[in-house]
Amino acid sequence: MSSFVPQIALILTGTFLFSCSDDPQTDPSAENTDHLSGGETTIFDATSHAFSLPAPNLSAASLSRHIDGDAAFGQHFVTAPAEVFGGLGPLYNNTSCQNCHVRDGRGKAPAPGEQLTSLLLRASVAGSSDHGGPVGAPGFGGQIQPKATAGIQPETEIQVSYELISGSYPDGTGWQLRKPVFTLVNSYTGIPAGMMLSPRLSPPVFGLGLLEAVPSSEIIGRSDPDDLNQDGISGRPNYVWDVISQSVQLGRFGWKANTPNLLQQTANAFQEDMGITSPFFPKENSYGQPQDSKLDDDPEITGDYADLTAFYVRTLAVPAQRNPGDPQVVKGKDLFNSAGCKSCHTPQLKTGLHPVVSELSNQTIHPYTDLLLHDMGEDLADGRPDYLATGSEWRTPPLWGIGLTEVVTGTPYYLHDGRARSLEEAILWHGGEAEKSKENFKKLSKVERDQLLTFLKSL
Amino acid sequence: MKTYLFFGFLILTAIAGTGCSDSATDPEDTAPADATQVLTDLATGIITPTYQDLDARAGDLLQAVTVLKNLPDEANLLTAQQAWKAARKPWEQAEGFLFGPVDTKGIDPAIDSWPLNKQDLESVLAQTEPLTKDRIDGLENTLKGFHTIEYLLFGDNADKKASGFTPRELEYLIAAAQSLKGETEKLFASWHPSGENFQNHLMKAGSPESIYSSQKSALQEITNGIIVIADEVANGKINDPFSQSDILLEESRFSDNSKTDFQDNIRSIRNLYLGQYNSFSGTGLSQVISTKNPTLDSRIRTEIADAIEAIGAIPGTFSEAIFSNRPSVESAQIKVRKIQQTFEEDVMPLILK
Repeated sequence: MSSFVPQIALILTGTFLFSCSDDPQTDPSAENTDHLSGGETTIFDATSHAFSLPAPNLSAASLSRHIDGDAAFGQHFVTAPAEVFGGLGPLYNNTSCQNCHVRDGRGKAPAPGEQLTSLLLRASVAGSSDHGGPVGAPGFGGQIQPKATAGIQPETEIQVSYELISGSYPDGTGWQLRKPVFTLVNSYTGIPAGMMLSPRLSPPVFGLGLLEAVPSSEIIGRSDPDDLNQDGISGRPNYVWDVISQSVQLGRFGWKANTPNLLQQTANAFQEDMGITSPFFPKENSYGQPQDSKLDDDPEITGDYADLTAFYVRTLAVPAQRNPGDPQVVKGKDLFNSAGCKSCHTPQLKTGLHPVVSELSNQTIHPYTDLLLHDMGEDLADGRPDYLATGSEWRTPPLWGIGLTEVVTGTPYYLHDGRARSLEEAILWHGGEAEKSKENFKKLSKVERDQLLTFLKSL
Repeated sequence: MKTYLFFGFLILTAIAGTGCSDSATDPEDTAPADATQVLTDLATGIITPTYQDLDARAGDLLQAVTVLKNLPDEANLLTAQQAWKAARKPWEQAEGFLFGPVDTKGIDPAIDSWPLNKQDLESVLAQTEPLTKDRIDGLENTLKGFHTIEYLLFGDNADKKASGFTPRELEYLIAAAQSLKGETEKLFASWHPSGENFQNHLMKAGSPESIYSSQKSALQEITNGIIVIADEVANGKINDPFSQSDILLEESRFSDNSKTDFQDNIRSIRNLYLGQYNSFSGTGLSQVISTKNPTLDSRIRTEIADAIEAIGAIPGTFSEAIFSNRPSVESAQIKVRKIQQTFEEDVMPLILK
């Protein structure tokens, strides 16, 4: 928000000793604590570090473990055998957590012809695995790794191009959206018939410990799989395989809620994204493929190292909403609610007891997600089922911190494959259960649309 | 307090009929004129010029390895090694402000990833494919940048001889230096007004032109950058090899340049705090702090000077000192931690006030 009447503000400041600041701590307009997006884990920072700070309520012991975890999250791995931090690959997508989750934020969609840096493709063929998950594509597994250590043949190259799609608002304002098309070229082996691919952009990683602490009952309680209330919105829980407890659990993480907890998410990323094996995923992602290394060095990290990394993610702070009392923001919030966005982007949740990090327990949080799957229509569909998620269902992504995307990671990219270059584009891609809300948005005046976007940018 | 301010807000809204200004308008806060000057000086007098120096020194390094390739003798090797250290200096002095394009464009990982991937480096050296800038650009970050060049120039134990270079290594060195130069050019251009002008975001903080919603946020960005590098030096660069007594965890061990690296990191803090860099002398964060708390200001100046001195006082190389002079390493670490603590606990609250 710019100051368009600075003189008046200054005069009033002098008179009332009043700071018209963007620091919600002292923002008098905050009648409630809705701006405390992460409850007691909230920080007041609108800089490029906004997603990278430890929760302020951590105990000394937790902070110490967070700092160790920070180093693990940033660590580059190299080809084994190595003096330090060996185990990369032989097949991989990237060499460190941080390389994809730059500044703990969103990934970048590749420009046409550019290599993928923080976007990956999941792969499968028809059917379901022993535990109900997708069946990895023969020769490629569950994820495409376009990179390999020296002397090893990568699985394939991934090329991206974009289709442009034009449209306009009822008021005549035009837009142009872009939809990515991924093509595999120079693959080391034949592409299996019927192989399904799903692009996934690296999501921001802060606040996830809080989402882990939301009781399953609270999430399931919001579901309406058969749309009994006939609001056009179902909301379905995903149930997925927990490799750690060896049981079926509610899915929470990933673009299709295909992962039950952060330790599994982290250990799986080590294995699939970096080729780093752990006790939880002891086989290389190239297992059974000719690229598999002949080294007997698995697991390449300890369970504690994976846990340490997960601990870091769990204990990152959530940035507070900025300017919650700004009239434009207030109006935008009303429009967000009345357009029906909040039906899925649930403004408020409460955490229960976190099993590992007590600082995350019993927090009132404002993530703007229900953690449920919703049919988002054909235009966004990847056509690849993932446990109970259909090819057109996606888990509602959280919106907290979304307005800081640009300051944290530069050019912003939104949605599962980063196709949207602005929040406005992201809204315009909504379909399926969100079709009605999108139509509501389109019918707004330009001023109102801007207010709604201003609200989103305040998050 | 809160109730009182709430009424203040109502009146403001009623009279001005406007949204809140983000800019620093609190009477206790920096006068806006000061903040503008500080942010302008930091951007145009320190950050962009540091990147300019980095780019110039990367050019010198490319020149020096080219000379070395043409005549690999001891004198030319020494010149190339000195050129590496000279390029390292502005980079380490830029690590107090690791935000913006250096990060969002992936330049930091492309020039300073650690550790080096020795296995893959050996594999690439064993291949016959021509080593061009494009080839190196396309390689993993752990196969290029400062530490790859350092390893090739200094050897595993700072024992490289001019006679020890294979033609392939020299070819790699030149391509890697070209790649590094490409990155530093990109970095400088991204801040410079004739390029993408990122410095404008700091100078115009609080205006719609800037990604920073207020000048306070921009000053917070600078302060965060200082905290991050103090933390990195104390709890990463010094602590990892020191606490585990393992030189393999030391970042610039091939060149024995670690102590200088650490000092230059703290000089980066000093430059931002004092608003001084080489011949430039303007206003820095000190300007904001000294008006509010002169005692704190002089304490910070002392703490920064003490830390630089304590690092310099570590005898011999850092690799040796973590075994044979541990108290001196610990003393330096404590002084750097003190800077971190001061900026976290004393400076940041004043910036945000």
